[in-house]
Amino acid sequence: TDAFLPAPQNISILSTNMKHFLTWSPVIIPGATVRYSVEFQGEYEREYANESWLPISECSLSTATVCNLTEDISASVPYRLRVRALLGAASSPWGTLTGFFNRVTTSLTPPVLKVVADGHHLLVELADMGPAFQFHVLYWKKGQESRVKQKVVREVSSVVHLDTMEAGAEYCVRAQAHVEAINRSSSFSPTLCVRAQGDISLWL
Amino acid sequence: GACRVSMSMAEIRAGFTAIKANIQSRDPIRTLSVLSHPHSLHKVKSSDRCCITHHLFTFYVDRVFKHCKTEDSFVNRKISSIANSFLSIRRKLGQCREQNNCVCGEESTEKFKQILANYEGLNVTSAAMKSLGELDILLDWMEKSH
Repeated sequence: TDAFLPAPQNISILSTNMKHFLTWSPVIIPGATVRYSVEFQGEYEREYANESWLPISECSLSTATVCNLTEDISASVPYRLRVRALLGAASSPWGTLTGFFNRVTTSLTPPVLKVVADGHHLLVELADMGPAFQFHVLYWKKGQESRVKQKVVREVSSVVHLDTMEAGAEYCVRAQAHVEAINRSSSFSPTLCVRAQGDISLWL
Repeated sequence: GACRVSMSMAEIRAGFTAIKANIQSRDPIRTLSVLSHPHSLHKVKSSDRCCITHHLFTFYVDRVFKHCKTEDSFVNRKISSIANSFLSIRRKLGQCREQNNCVCGEESTEKFKQILANYEGLNVTSAAMKSLGELDILLDWMEKSH
Protein backbone atom coordinates (compact mmCIF):
# COMPACT_ATOMS: atom_id res chain seq x y z
CA THR A 1 0.00 0.00 0.00
CA ASP A 2 2.99 2.34 0.36
CA ALA A 3 3.30 2.52 -3.46
CA PHE A 4 -0.33 3.65 -3.32
CA LEU A 5 0.70 6.66 -1.26
CA PRO A 6 3.57 8.67 -2.79
CA ALA A 7 5.95 10.69 -0.65
CA PRO A 8 5.26 14.45 -0.48
CA GLN A 9 7.19 16.48 -3.08
CA ASN A 10 8.52 20.05 -3.41
CA ILE A 11 9.58 20.12 0.24
CA SER A 12 11.08 23.47 1.16
CA ILE A 13 11.75 25.83 4.03
CA LEU A 14 10.43 29.36 4.32
CA SER A 15 12.48 31.19 6.95
CA THR A 16 12.01 34.87 7.59
CA ASN A 17 12.91 36.84 10.71
CA MET A 18 13.75 33.72 12.71
CA LYS A 19 10.39 32.05 11.98
CA HIS A 20 10.83 28.81 10.11
CA PHE A 21 8.17 26.91 8.15
CA LEU A 22 8.37 23.64 6.26
CA THR A 23 6.08 23.45 3.23
CA TRP A 24 5.35 20.75 0.64
CA SER A 25 2.97 19.97 -2.19
CA PRO A 26 -0.22 18.12 -1.22
CA VAL A 27 -0.51 14.42 -2.00
CA ILE A 28 -3.76 14.17 -3.96
CA ILE A 29 -5.85 10.99 -3.58
CA PRO A 30 -9.29 11.57 -5.08
CA GLY A 31 -12.05 11.26 -2.53
CA ALA A 32 -9.65 10.81 0.37
CA THR A 33 -8.33 13.07 3.13
CA VAL A 34 -4.58 12.77 3.28
CA ARG A 35 -2.78 13.74 6.47
CA TYR A 36 0.88 14.31 7.17
CA SER A 37 3.51 13.97 9.88
CA VAL A 38 6.74 15.88 10.19
CA GLU A 39 10.01 15.03 11.94
CA PHE A 40 13.28 16.88 12.54
CA GLN A 41 16.86 15.83 13.31
CA GLY A 42 19.50 18.17 14.68
CA GLU A 43 23.24 17.79 14.51
CA TYR A 44 23.17 16.43 18.04
CA GLU A 45 20.84 13.61 17.01
CA ARG A 46 23.07 12.75 14.06
CA GLU A 47 26.28 12.67 16.05
CA TYR A 48 25.18 11.50 19.51
CA ALA A 49 21.74 9.88 19.28
CA ASN A 50 22.01 7.29 16.54
CA GLU A 51 20.66 9.65 13.86
CA SER A 52 17.29 9.62 15.57
CA TRP A 53 14.37 11.79 14.44
CA LEU A 54 11.89 13.64 16.61
CA PRO A 55 8.23 14.08 15.65
CA ILE A 56 6.61 17.49 15.78
CA SER A 57 3.31 16.73 17.41
CA GLU A 58 1.61 19.94 16.28
CA CYS A 59 2.10 18.82 12.67
CA SER A 60 1.22 15.16 13.17
CA LEU A 61 -1.99 13.83 11.57
CA SER A 62 -2.57 17.30 10.15
CA THR A 63 -4.05 17.96 6.73
CA ALA A 64 -2.08 21.21 6.40
CA THR A 65 0.87 21.26 4.01
CA VAL A 66 2.87 23.63 6.19
CA CYS A 67 4.51 23.10 9.58
CA ASN A 68 5.88 25.72 11.98
CA LEU A 69 9.35 24.58 13.07
CA THR A 70 10.31 27.70 14.99
CA GLU A 71 10.08 26.23 18.48
CA ASP A 72 12.16 23.19 17.55
CA ILE A 73 14.83 24.85 15.41
CA SER A 74 16.27 26.81 18.33
CA ALA A 75 19.98 26.18 17.85
CA SER A 76 22.35 27.41 15.19
CA VAL A 77 23.25 23.96 13.85
CA PRO A 78 22.30 22.15 10.62
CA TYR A 79 18.93 20.37 10.80
CA ARG A 80 17.38 17.73 8.54
CA LEU A 81 13.62 17.67 8.03
CA ARG A 82 11.22 15.12 6.60
CA VAL A 83 7.47 14.69 6.02
CA ARG A 84 5.32 11.77 5.00
CA ALA A 85 1.68 11.29 3.97
CA LEU A 86 -0.78 9.23 5.96
CA LEU A 87 -4.09 7.74 4.81
CA GLY A 88 -5.78 5.47 7.29
CA ALA A 89 -3.23 2.82 8.21
CA ALA A 90 -1.13 3.51 5.13
CA SER A 91 1.87 5.79 5.21
CA SER A 92 4.04 7.00 2.37
CA PRO A 93 7.82 6.88 2.25
CA TRP A 94 9.47 9.88 3.90
CA GLY A 95 10.05 12.92 1.75
CA THR A 96 13.21 14.60 3.06
CA LEU A 97 14.24 18.23 2.58
CA THR A 98 17.22 18.37 0.26
CA GLY A 99 20.29 19.25 2.25
CA PHE A 100 20.24 20.85 5.68
CA PHE A 101 18.62 23.91 7.19
CA ASN A 102 20.50 26.16 9.59
CA ARG A 103 18.66 29.12 11.07
CA VAL A 104 21.67 31.37 10.46
CA THR A 105 20.36 31.58 6.87
CA THR A 106 17.02 33.08 7.84
CA SER A 107 16.20 36.20 5.83
CA LEU A 108 15.96 39.38 7.89
CA THR A 109 13.72 42.23 6.82
CA PRO A 110 14.26 45.83 7.88
CA PRO A 111 12.22 46.93 10.89
CA VAL A 112 8.97 48.85 10.53
CA LEU A 113 9.12 52.08 12.48
CA LYS A 114 7.12 55.20 13.16
CA VAL A 115 8.87 58.45 14.04
CA VAL A 116 7.02 61.08 16.04
CA ALA A 117 7.87 64.67 16.95
CA ASP A 118 6.12 65.20 20.26
CA GLY A 119 6.80 68.89 20.87
CA HIS A 120 10.59 68.98 21.18
CA HIS A 121 10.88 65.23 21.76
CA LEU A 122 12.01 62.85 19.02
CA LEU A 123 10.27 59.52 19.57
CA VAL A 124 10.39 56.23 17.65
CA GLU A 125 8.03 53.30 17.75
CA LEU A 126 9.27 49.91 16.45
CA ALA A 127 7.10 46.98 15.39
CA ASP A 128 7.83 43.87 17.44
CA MET A 129 9.76 41.22 15.49
CA GLY A 130 10.05 38.61 18.22
CA PRO A 131 12.16 37.83 21.30
CA ALA A 132 15.35 37.19 19.34
CA PHE A 133 15.48 40.75 17.99
CA GLN A 134 17.09 44.00 19.05
CA PHE A 135 17.32 47.21 17.01
CA HIS A 136 20.10 49.63 16.11
CA VAL A 137 18.44 53.03 15.68
CA LEU A 138 20.41 55.83 13.99
CA TYR A 139 19.22 59.46 14.25
CA TRP A 140 20.62 62.84 13.32
CA LYS A 141 19.70 66.45 12.77
CA LYS A 142 19.12 67.07 9.08
CA GLY A 143 22.17 68.77 7.62
CA GLN A 144 24.44 67.27 10.26
CA GLU A 145 24.79 63.84 8.67
CA SER A 146 28.29 63.55 10.07
CA ARG A 147 26.98 63.62 13.64
CA VAL A 148 24.80 60.53 13.62
CA LYS A 149 23.84 59.14 17.01
CA GLN A 150 22.93 55.51 17.73
CA LYS A 151 20.68 53.82 20.25
CA VAL A 152 20.34 50.05 20.79
CA VAL A 153 16.76 49.08 21.58
CA ARG A 154 16.25 45.63 23.14
CA GLU A 155 12.63 45.91 24.24
CA VAL A 156 10.02 47.23 21.86
CA SER A 157 7.21 47.28 24.38
CA SER A 158 6.96 51.06 24.35
CA VAL A 159 7.80 54.22 22.48
CA VAL A 160 11.50 55.07 22.66
CA HIS A 161 12.71 58.60 23.37
CA LEU A 162 15.66 59.36 21.12
CA ASP A 163 16.48 63.00 21.60
CA THR A 164 15.35 66.47 22.56
CA MET A 165 15.15 68.48 19.36
CA GLU A 166 15.98 72.10 18.65
CA ALA A 167 12.89 74.15 17.92
CA GLY A 168 11.84 74.00 14.27
CA ALA A 169 14.72 71.71 13.25
CA GLU A 170 14.22 68.57 11.19
CA TYR A 171 15.49 65.24 12.46
CA CYS A 172 15.87 61.94 10.61
CA VAL A 173 15.82 58.34 11.79
CA ARG A 174 16.53 54.91 10.34
CA ALA A 175 16.97 51.49 11.96
CA GLN A 176 18.11 47.92 11.38
CA ALA A 177 17.15 44.71 13.16
CA HIS A 178 19.86 42.59 14.79
CA VAL A 179 19.70 38.96 15.97
CA GLU A 180 22.36 38.22 18.58
CA ALA A 181 21.78 34.45 18.41
CA ILE A 182 22.95 34.29 14.81
CA ASN A 183 25.02 37.51 14.90
CA ARG A 184 23.38 39.01 11.83
CA SER A 185 21.56 42.24 10.99
CA SER A 186 18.88 43.25 8.50
CA SER A 187 19.35 46.04 6.00
CA PHE A 188 18.34 49.51 7.15
CA SER A 189 14.80 50.77 7.02
CA PRO A 190 13.99 53.79 4.85
CA THR A 191 14.93 57.08 6.52
CA LEU A 192 12.04 58.95 8.11
CA CYS A 193 12.27 62.65 9.05
CA VAL A 194 10.10 64.87 11.26
CA ARG A 195 10.21 68.53 12.20
CA ALA A 196 10.26 69.74 15.76
CA GLN A 197 7.66 72.20 16.85
CA GLY A 198 8.77 75.77 16.32
CA ASP A 199 9.12 78.20 19.25
CA ILE A 200 5.87 79.85 20.29
CA SER A 201 6.32 83.60 20.38
CA LEU A 202 4.29 85.29 23.03
CA TRP A 203 2.92 88.72 22.49
CA LEU A 204 3.07 90.55 25.78
CA GLY B 1 41.97 32.78 29.83
CA ALA B 2 38.96 34.77 28.68
CA CYS B 3 36.55 33.49 26.05
CA ARG B 4 34.08 35.77 24.39
CA VAL B 5 31.53 33.37 22.88
CA SER B 6 28.14 34.59 21.72
CA MET B 7 25.47 32.26 22.98
CA SER B 8 21.71 32.60 23.27
CA MET B 9 21.35 31.85 26.96
CA ALA B 10 17.78 33.12 26.89
CA GLU B 11 16.74 30.39 24.45
CA ILE B 12 18.46 27.66 26.47
CA ARG B 13 16.95 28.91 29.70
CA ALA B 14 13.48 29.14 28.11
CA GLY B 15 13.80 25.58 26.83
CA PHE B 16 14.95 24.33 30.25
CA THR B 17 12.31 26.25 32.18
CA ALA B 18 9.63 24.60 30.03
CA ILE B 19 10.68 21.11 31.21
CA LYS B 20 12.43 21.78 34.55
CA ALA B 21 9.59 20.54 36.77
CA ASN B 22 9.14 17.41 34.65
CA ILE B 23 12.85 16.59 34.70
CA GLN B 24 13.35 17.32 38.38
CA SER B 25 10.34 15.13 39.23
CA ARG B 26 12.27 12.23 37.72
CA ASP B 27 15.16 12.75 40.14
CA PRO B 28 14.26 10.97 43.39
CA ILE B 29 17.56 11.63 45.16
CA ARG B 30 17.21 15.25 46.19
CA THR B 31 19.96 15.18 48.80
CA LEU B 32 22.78 14.79 46.29
CA SER B 33 24.12 17.22 43.70
CA VAL B 34 26.30 16.52 40.69
CA LEU B 35 27.43 20.08 40.03
CA SER B 36 27.48 21.60 43.51
CA HIS B 37 28.91 18.88 45.74
CA PRO B 38 31.03 19.50 47.77
CA HIS B 39 31.87 22.93 46.35
CA SER B 40 29.83 25.31 44.27
CA LEU B 41 30.88 26.28 40.76
CA HIS B 42 31.11 29.83 42.04
CA LYS B 43 34.45 29.02 43.62
CA VAL B 44 36.08 28.51 40.21
CA LYS B 45 38.73 31.14 39.49
CA SER B 46 37.93 33.51 36.62
CA SER B 47 41.04 32.44 34.74
CA ASP B 48 39.72 28.88 34.66
CA ARG B 49 36.17 29.66 33.59
CA CYS B 50 36.67 29.20 29.88
CA CYS B 51 38.30 25.83 30.36
CA ILE B 52 35.86 24.40 32.86
CA THR B 53 32.88 25.72 30.87
CA HIS B 54 34.18 23.83 27.87
CA HIS B 55 34.63 20.70 30.00
CA LEU B 56 31.08 21.03 31.36
CA PHE B 57 29.53 21.51 27.92
CA THR B 58 31.45 18.46 26.68
CA PHE B 59 30.22 16.53 29.71
CA TYR B 60 26.59 17.40 28.95
CA VAL B 61 26.92 16.70 25.22
CA ASP B 62 28.88 13.48 25.54
CA ARG B 63 27.38 11.97 28.66
CA VAL B 64 24.15 13.57 29.86
CA PHE B 65 21.65 14.34 27.10
CA LYS B 66 21.80 10.90 25.49
CA HIS B 67 20.53 9.27 28.67
CA CYS B 68 17.60 11.66 29.11
CA LYS B 69 15.16 10.30 26.56
CA THR B 70 11.62 10.26 27.99
CA GLU B 71 8.21 9.03 26.91
CA ASP B 72 7.10 12.64 26.55
CA SER B 73 7.52 14.06 23.02
CA PHE B 74 7.41 17.66 24.20
CA VAL B 75 10.17 17.05 26.77
CA ASN B 76 12.28 15.21 24.19
CA ARG B 77 11.96 18.13 21.77
CA LYS B 78 13.08 20.63 24.39
CA ILE B 79 16.02 18.41 25.36
CA SER B 80 16.93 18.26 21.67
CA SER B 81 16.97 22.04 21.33
CA ILE B 82 19.12 22.38 24.47
CA ALA B 83 21.47 19.63 23.31
CA ASN B 84 21.87 21.18 19.85
CA SER B 85 22.52 24.59 21.43
CA PHE B 86 25.14 23.03 23.72
CA LEU B 87 26.76 21.35 20.73
CA SER B 88 26.96 24.67 18.86
CA ILE B 89 28.36 26.52 21.89
CA ARG B 90 30.80 23.72 22.77
CA ARG B 91 32.29 24.04 19.30
CA LYS B 92 32.85 27.79 19.77
CA LEU B 93 34.32 27.23 23.23
CA GLY B 94 36.68 24.63 21.78
CA GLN B 95 37.87 27.04 19.11
CA CYS B 96 38.31 29.73 21.74
CA ARG B 97 40.30 27.43 24.00
CA GLU B 98 42.68 26.61 21.18
CA GLN B 99 43.18 30.24 20.19
CA ASN B 100 43.61 31.50 23.74
CA ASN B 101 45.34 28.37 25.02
CA CYS B 102 42.95 28.24 27.98
CA VAL B 103 44.17 25.60 30.38
CA CYS B 104 42.44 24.39 33.50
CA GLY B 105 44.22 25.14 36.75
CA GLU B 106 44.67 22.46 39.39
CA GLU B 107 41.70 23.59 41.45
CA SER B 108 39.19 23.54 38.63
CA THR B 109 40.57 20.27 37.27
CA GLU B 110 39.87 18.87 40.71
CA LYS B 111 36.42 20.43 40.66
CA PHE B 112 35.59 18.83 37.31
CA LYS B 113 36.91 15.44 38.52
CA GLN B 114 34.56 15.77 41.50
CA ILE B 115 31.62 16.41 39.17
CA LEU B 116 32.46 13.26 37.20
CA ALA B 117 32.80 11.29 40.44
CA ASN B 118 29.40 12.53 41.60
CA TYR B 119 27.96 11.52 38.24
CA GLU B 120 29.54 8.09 38.19
CA GLY B 121 28.38 7.45 41.76
CA LEU B 122 24.81 7.04 40.49
CA ASN B 123 23.26 4.78 37.91
CA VAL B 124 23.53 6.43 34.54
CA THR B 125 19.89 7.38 33.99
CA SER B 126 19.52 8.87 37.47
CA ALA B 127 22.83 10.68 37.07
CA ALA B 128 21.82 12.06 33.66
CA MET B 129 18.39 13.21 34.84
CA LYS B 130 19.91 14.81 37.94
CA SER B 131 22.53 16.61 35.87
CA LEU B 132 19.89 17.83 33.43
CA GLY B 133 17.74 18.96 36.33
CA GLU B 134 20.67 21.01 37.62
CA LEU B 135 21.11 22.88 34.33
CA ASP B 136 19.95 26.13 35.93
CA ILE B 137 22.86 25.89 38.38
CA LEU B 138 25.20 25.89 35.37
CA LEU B 139 23.27 28.64 33.56
CA ASP B 140 23.16 30.83 36.70
CA TRP B 141 26.90 30.40 37.23
CA MET B 142 27.63 31.21 33.58
CA GLU B 143 25.50 34.35 33.61
CA LYS B 144 26.87 35.54 36.92
CA SER B 145 30.47 34.94 35.99
CA HIS B 146 30.42 36.21 32.42
